[in-house]
Amino acid sequence: MSTSGTNPNEAWGSRIGLILAMAGNAVGLGNFLRFPSQAAANGGGSFMIPYFIAFLLLGIPLMWIEWGIGRNGGRFRKGHVPGMFAAIWHHPAAKYLGVIGMVIPLVVLIYYTVIESWTLAFTWFSVTGDYWSANTPESMQAYLASYQAIGDSSVHAVWKPFLFFFTTLAINIWVLSKGISGGIEKLAKIGMPILFIFAIILAISVFMIPPGENGIGAVQGLEFIYKPNFSELKNAKVWLAAAGQIFFTLSVGMGTLQCYASYLSTSDDIVLSGLATAATNETAEVVLGGSIAIPAAVAFFGVSGAMAVAQSGSFDIAFVTMPLIFQQMPGGQLLGAMWFGLLFFAGITSSVAMATPVVAFFREEFGYRRETVAWIIGGVALVFGLLTILWLQYGFLDEWDFWAGTFGLAVFAFIEVVLFMWVFKPEEAWKSLHQGADLRIPGGYKFVMTYVTPLYLGVILVAWAWQQAFPILTLQNVKPGTEFYIHASRLIIVAFIVFFLVMIRMAWKRNGYRDSEGFVEVTNTPAGTPPADPRHTEVAG
Amino acid sequence: MSTGAIIFMAISWTFVLGLMAWSYRKIMRSKDHFDPDGTGPQKPPIRSKLEKKAARARGEPVR
Repeated sequence: MSTSGTNPNEAWGSRIGLILAMAGNAVGLGNFLRFPSQAAANGGGSFMIPYFIAFLLLGIPLMWIEWGIGRNGGRFRKGHVPGMFAAIWHHPAAKYLGVIGMVIPLVVLIYYTVIESWTLAFTWFSVTGDYWSANTPESMQAYLASYQAIGDSSVHAVWKPFLFFFTTLAINIWVLSKGISGGIEKLAKIGMPILFIFAIILAISVFMIPPGENGIGAVQGLEFIYKPNFSELKNAKVWLAAAGQIFFTLSVGMGTLQCYASYLSTSDDIVLSGLATAATNETAEVVLGGSIAIPAAVAFFGVSGAMAVAQSGSFDIAFVTMPLIFQQMPGGQLLGAMWFGLLFFAGITSSVAMATPVVAFFREEFGYRRETVAWIIGGVALVFGLLTILWLQYGFLDEWDFWAGTFGLAVFAFIEVVLFMWVFKPEEAWKSLHQGADLRIPGGYKFVMTYVTPLYLGVILVAWAWQQAFPILTLQNVKPGTEFYIHASRLIIVAFIVFFLVMIRMAWKRNGYRDSEGFVEVTNTPAGTPPADPRHTEVAG
Repeated sequence: MSTGAIIFMAISWTFVLGLMAWSYRKIMRSKDHFDPDGTGPQKPPIRSKLEKKAARARGEPVR
């Protein structure tokens, strides 16, 4: 169980810690905000049919594939996607395809930390009762807008968003600098139980709200989410929404699950652990995520009010609707702090994961210390995070969220499924997944993972390209005057891609890797043993 | 709540809670790789059932 700053041979301290860290990576803001509104807007109970089908045919296979790619990369001490891809496809293009698995988590990390800082700020505002005077939707909207829009100091001083952003970023980087076992695993072991406890207390509090004079209470909120509308099943949009929800909720296509799995050995199980991770995420989403925001909104605003809330978007539910509700509940300040606290823990357990692929790349390929890379990432996130805060109102964050946090994930997931199941071959993939396994995957899943999952992903990709990517790319429906900021956000993503392509080339040249020969498998050394070669990895020849 | 909503909620909750309970129960019972005190395995990992089965099929001694 080494966590030495100079020894890259890191490992997870315990299996439960690994699963909690993986689940922490997957459980994010979407579990508590996106799921209930998606279910309510897409057929209620009948939404759960395509949702669970997508979970079985897309979510679980992708989870196993990402764990498999990661653990296979770990055999060659490659905790970054370019190395993992090069390990399964001995072709010069493989490592360059892996650049997506470096850029996506870095870009998402930057804007996700900004959003995470809002949850930290609102935790503090709940504790101090700062928003207690904003007791109408309009005044709460103004309260949030003043916090988000720099220059509007009608409610908040200009320095507040920056202070909370710096604090959030510093916590992230500090955890990251402590390593896998000493930082990320400890955070997951503390953060995940707190998150579940807060969610359970909030759900119980919501269902203890007495029904109003019209008899409508939180139970009607569950009716709102689960009432089946079977006619919606004929609508392709509903199937696409369900697949999208499963895709986002499990944090696949990001490059982070692979990185975590690379710290496992071939003696460690990944099949059962992957399934437990997916199940933990689904419990947080379906049982807890569906029992807080929408039921509370129905209890206080009625079904039509909740409908409007569900359609207003995730951020409005979290930062406008819920604070209004807490103001009317006994112990509202404490419950508000719990709500934003749980969102903060959901966020931070995901954001630390997003930085790990870049840390692994520079440590393994260039021999840098973990702490050094962590603080450099912090510096990069600080600079571009400040841009995100300053240009938020011009659609800068939305542009990054679409290309890196939505469309990019599907592209990356499609590439990795094809590489693992087609290039690596189904037999090899199957064998690799079952090394050290505590559970045998049902045989039918080999067919599903080889044919159904890539097809499913391909359909999603084409649909999103047609419905969303093309209109966004061609700047349809953008606010006048925001074009410069949108181009700037795209240019930064391109700059990141170019930077990492150059770094990958330098790494391969520096370490003398030969694409056609792959890497030499690294045997496990006892914890704390310094590596003989500071570069830690070599290739044959 | 309508019957349809109750049925869909019950099925959904049972599925996810059941899957989670089943997974963790299996993990807790798997002594091969699990360290219940969370301080890390005391001994090197031993072969899983599948590996042992494969080793037996190859005629290799198990443990």
